[in-house]
Amino acid sequence: MRRLLILTALLFASLAAVAATGHDRDLDSRGIFQVIAKAPAKSRDQKNPYEGQTNAVAAGEKLFRQHCAECHGEDALGRGRAANLRASGVQNATPGELAWFLRNGNLVHGMPPWAGIPEQRRWQIIAYVKSLH
Amino acid sequence: MLGVNPIPRSVCPATASSRLRFLSPFLLCVAAAAIWLPSRAAAQETPYFVAYSHHLEEPGNLEIETYSIYGTQKGGGDFIAPWMELEYGVTAWWTTEFYIDSQHTFGDGSVFTGTRWENRFRPLMREHWINPVLYVEFENITDADKTLKEVVGTDTQFDAADPNSEANRSHAHEIETKLILSSDYKGWNFSENFIGEKNLGHEPWEFGYALGVSRPLRLEATPRPCNFCRENMILGAEMYGGLGTVKAFSLSGTSHYVAPIAAWQLPNGVTFSISPGFGLNENSHRFLLRWGMAYEIGGFGRKVRSLLR
Repeated sequence: MRRLLILTALLFASLAAVAATGHDRDLDSRGIFQVIAKAPAKSRDQKNPYEGQTNAVAAGEKLFRQHCAECHGEDALGRGRAANLRASGVQNATPGELAWFLRNGNLVHGMPPWAGIPEQRRWQIIAYVKSLH
Repeated sequence: MLGVNPIPRSVCPATASSRLRFLSPFLLCVAAAAIWLPSRAAAQETPYFVAYSHHLEEPGNLEIETYSIYGTQKGGGDFIAPWMELEYGVTAWWTTEFYIDSQHTFGDGSVFTGTRWENRFRPLMREHWINPVLYVEFENITDADKTLKEVVGTDTQFDAADPNSEANRSHAHEIETKLILSSDYKGWNFSENFIGEKNLGHEPWEFGYALGVSRPLRLEATPRPCNFCRENMILGAEMYGGLGTVKAFSLSGTSHYVAPIAAWQLPNGVTFSISPGFGLNENSHRFLLRWGMAYEIGGFGRKVRSLLR
């Protein structure tokens, strides 16, 4: 039992150390805008199949609160070093560029890939983000 | 381990009421979590118990998971092995996880069986048709461990028939490595894991595999928040088993399982999963039932940092 308590304490100490040190450096929103601009031409021209659908915007908002608001804020203005999604770097990007970015993320700068949620839901999130301009 | 004083089945009956006694805390958790837990980040993880996909924990998020497995046992008492996992996204390409394992064998007793420390790394920075993840785990467990988180080498159900008093005396320090390959296609996830495990006490490498496939029941999200809707339900299946050792790479003498899975992902970050598993040969446990609950705390790293400032 004593060994278990020591191991648990060590684990939480490690987590605290990790959280207190290098993690901030990885969330660089400026890097995210640069990566969006690197989307391949094929992806850039993709249209959002849900464009202009109010239900899709509402569904996207629900998904945004579940998956994105924790880092980007409920108002999408960005928090810490997570990107401001109302900024021109995001709002001027094409839906295809945002879809490509959402699927791939930016691992080096702390944005996880969201390929694990179905493509339809990623498009719904993009419909919502684009409605914020 | 055949013939090592197995407990006769008649001595350790696992009655329906004793099984329910172990399920009741879980059912209480289900009710409490669904009602009480506040809205938090929802993960995009796949529902597998044994196989891994390439989807890692989101950076800064902590997932607290509690799972159990019930297994039938030939030549011994049936068992329930609960384990707890703490999973943290260190970065977007590195997830670390800590396990605490235990088990209760009906007619025998309950024991703490050890700890594991696991790390998963994504070597490629973009999504591809097939996405590799490298996995390395250090295990400090005893032979009484029955969580069956992986099946390797010539692991069979008879290994689990030893009495706890005997099996729990034998400690194993093991390194487990996995090559995880995983793909997403039209809402489906396909995952293939190749496992290599080495007991650090001069035993040969043992190999195994795990395969998984899963899909949400509905791919689009509905506009309104909902708990009981198809978009929150995921169905899938996994298959896993041993592939022998480096000296005898073979299916001979190995055990294999197939297990359908159902998961219910609540929007508040709680996920419930259940998976009945079926042994595919005489070496396998005839029936396994896994169930569990996971709760994701979004922005855990940020919250810890703010406390330390």
